[in-house]
Amino acid sequence: MPIMRVGGYLLVPIQIDLDDRTVGRLQQQLLKEIERTRARAVILDVRMVEVIDSYISYTLSETAVMARLMGCRTVLCGIQPPVALTLAQMGVTLQEVAVARNLEHALVLAGSFQERDKGV
Amino acid sequence: MYEERITSIIEDPAQEFDIVVRITREEDIAVARQMAKQLAQEIGFSLADVTRIATAVSELARNIYRYARQGRIMIRKRLEDRDSPGIEVIAADRGPGIPDIELVLTRGYTTWERSLGIGLSGVKRLMDSFAIHSEVGKGTVVITGKRRRTF
Repeated sequence: MPIMRVGGYLLVPIQIDLDDRTVGRLQQQLLKEIERTRARAVILDVRMVEVIDSYISYTLSETAVMARLMGCRTVLCGIQPPVALTLAQMGVTLQEVAVARNLEHALVLAGSFQERDKGV
Repeated sequence: MYEERITSIIEDPAQEFDIVVRITREEDIAVARQMAKQLAQEIGFSLADVTRIATAVSELARNIYRYARQGRIMIRKRLEDRDSPGIEVIAADRGPGIPDIELVLTRGYTTWERSLGIGLSGVKRLMDSFAIHSEVGKGTVVITGKRRRTF
């Protein structure tokens, strides 16, 4: 999975079908990258993802909790309307994940975390 | 009659279905989900319903893989009612079975460590019909369906 560095953030455009193994590998890869780059925030762009089920939700949320423990925030952006509908109907809530409307909004959110974290 | 159907599904899983996916590896979960999506699109479901159906199939396939190690996802078009065609999804396995069905349908209940515990209850919410038949030591069959909405 390609992980890009944008400023102090890591940007992950997820462009393939997320099967269980892929999402597990992404988690490992992200944690390593957070450690290596000391990124302040991770932005997961799921615009191309057509199905997010309970396990994928769980793993994304778990990754965000882990990242948070390493001092890194997680922003999810680009959830497609049918995916949002399905997640809401199933009652999925994502812990430690900030949700943005699009990539631009995600960058603004990530920036606001940075400001807030500086003050601490 | 219901009992007979359950038995025939367990005995001869390939009958009368448009799609039969054997779930034996983790990758098969994604395969089942993809094929369900295609069939739902073919039937003419809305994008929202296609996503619901694909997600439900994903949950069912994962349960088979997790708890029974192997089993089958069987899907067929239901075209008897021409005004409102539908889809039927059956998940069948010869796994350990479920001792307390009511309990596993409780949101947040799970025996799996890394899980939200909303899989089966989620499937029930996403689909129109939902029935589950399980016997400890014998296996589990989940029968679920959805009709296409007409606008």
